[in-house]
Amino acid sequence: MQTFERYFVATNKWLLIVILAVMSVIIFTNVVLRYTTSISIEWAEEVARHLMIWLTFLGCGPVLRYGGHIAVENLQDALPRPFAIGLRVIISILITGLFVFFTWYGLEYMDRTQYQQTPTTQISIAIIYAGLPIGAAMTLVHWFLIVKDYILNRSFAADGDFDATASASL
Amino acid sequence: MSASVLLLVSACIYLAIGVPVAFALGLSTITALVLSDAGYPLLVLLKETFTGIDSFPLMAVPFFILAAELMSGGSLTEVLLKFAGQFVGHKRGGLGYTNVVSLTFFSGISGSALADAAGPGSMLIRMMDKAGYSRSYAAALTASTAIVGPIIPPSIIMIIYALADDKVSVAALFVAGLVPGVLIAIAMCIVNWYISKKRNYKGDNAFPSRREMWLTTWKALPAILLPVIILGGMRAGWFTPTEASVVAVFYALLCGKYVYKTLAWKAVPNILNRSALLTASVLLIIGMSASFAWILTIEGVPQTVANWIVGMHLNAWTFLIVVNIFLLLFGIFIEPLPGVMVLVPILAPVAAQVGVEPIHFAMIVIYNLTLGMITPPVGGLLFVTSNVSRVPLSDLTRELKPFLWAHGIVLMMLTFIPALSNWLPKLMGFK
Repeated sequence: MQTFERYFVATNKWLLIVILAVMSVIIFTNVVLRYTTSISIEWAEEVARHLMIWLTFLGCGPVLRYGGHIAVENLQDALPRPFAIGLRVIISILITGLFVFFTWYGLEYMDRTQYQQTPTTQISIAIIYAGLPIGAAMTLVHWFLIVKDYILNRSFAADGDFDATASASL
Repeated sequence: MSASVLLLVSACIYLAIGVPVAFALGLSTITALVLSDAGYPLLVLLKETFTGIDSFPLMAVPFFILAAELMSGGSLTEVLLKFAGQFVGHKRGGLGYTNVVSLTFFSGISGSALADAAGPGSMLIRMMDKAGYSRSYAAALTASTAIVGPIIPPSIIMIIYALADDKVSVAALFVAGLVPGVLIAIAMCIVNWYISKKRNYKGDNAFPSRREMWLTTWKALPAILLPVIILGGMRAGWFTPTEASVVAVFYALLCGKYVYKTLAWKAVPNILNRSALLTASVLLIIGMSASFAWILTIEGVPQTVANWIVGMHLNAWTFLIVVNIFLLLFGIFIEPLPGVMVLVPILAPVAAQVGVEPIHFAMIVIYNLTLGMITPPVGGLLFVTSNVSRVPLSDLTRELKPFLWAHGIVLMMLTFIPALSNWLPKLMGFK
């Protein structure tokens, strides 16, 4: 189980790294080319945009793992521990439900859009929308790996690189 | 029940019990879609979420996050500290001024308040503690100065504001933030002057030699130039905000690698990973609020609110006072990001209708909601600062009082003197 967890987390991490790196390089190359050669890569913007969609949904799971999704936790802090645990059970059911919903309906949405194509690259829109069900299913895996600690102690996995308190707050 | 009532009530319940904000927005959208009798298809949630994040202007968010992460290695922070210190360090309360000035410069690199507080902020708190300042005062000064992060360009919240209100552009907002940002910094300096005098916090009395000053300035120059390149490039029409942000990424990469020499190639994957996670958490909230806002819009809520406010025949000033009070209360509980996504589509059209200039209104909303991060009891900035400084929240809150007054005065000035926000963008020809 621990080996699986390690590989799973690492795979997800490297997917995110590659996606963000590719996005940056594509858009930067496009800017440079426009000024040096007056050529522009016509698919650059579209591909980068779609990578960003994948980045968002693939990033959802790890952010959840490290406790980076901001929440208002004052009520839980004010309640005695058994009640706070009760609330977290409800929250856990809601979150699980949400991502089962996203996985299921994400697949259905792919089904409906498979014959539409993107304007420049002419690939099926379903491939872009696949980011949602895949990201949601991976989020469920991340969630099940930490849900027990969350319910009992509201604790998340630790990561040296990512300061969860600093995320999504601007 | 009508979909909008279900939406708002269920969102409040989900948020109150502690469901993360992004998921609470998604869940309340589902609740409204399933339980209302309006018969909207469930796929609306998916479609609107995709539409919400499928946007090229939004891509400036990951790139500015990445640029700041690349730029803010150890040595750059030190250079900025030294640079700020050489002007103000010898005065009474000198390290306090150094804190304010260097955070203000750092805001020109980062687009968020938390990055300011967690990075150079935590370093300054340690230094001030060592120099004999009270640690909780240092933490309070840092938290309240970090507010300039999203006010001085680049600013992530401004990029998102410009998406929510099509009457303002990112470039104009960026320029509009300069004067208010400096004003906030001055206000923080005044508080520092007052407290340092009262408690007799000493300066370091060390005047650097002229040669040393030139050297520090020369070293700080690449970092200080970044906002100039961003703003200048957009003004000259060289690039769009998104392109400017990606130029900033590679500029930061070169600076970190070859100028400051603190960036190792093997650190880059982790920096990318961190930026990707921050991006995902921000964009998820944006996507979910897009479907949330879709229901509000289709149910005519913005129009109803607009008619109701216009029907009260408020003039522009009373409207702004009401908005200020409302936003301050709202901001206590809600983070700036979901605040902008949900409130701006409702309030900005009304503001325009009662005759408030869009840029002026944008500055008020952004400043107000950002202030929510340091108004107790809940505030992201308070948590982060308390975390990095290990100052208990209650001590931090106590020291915060004079700073909150100062912020209140600046907020009033911004509200009643539109020129503070409007003048510079107009002068430079931004719309």
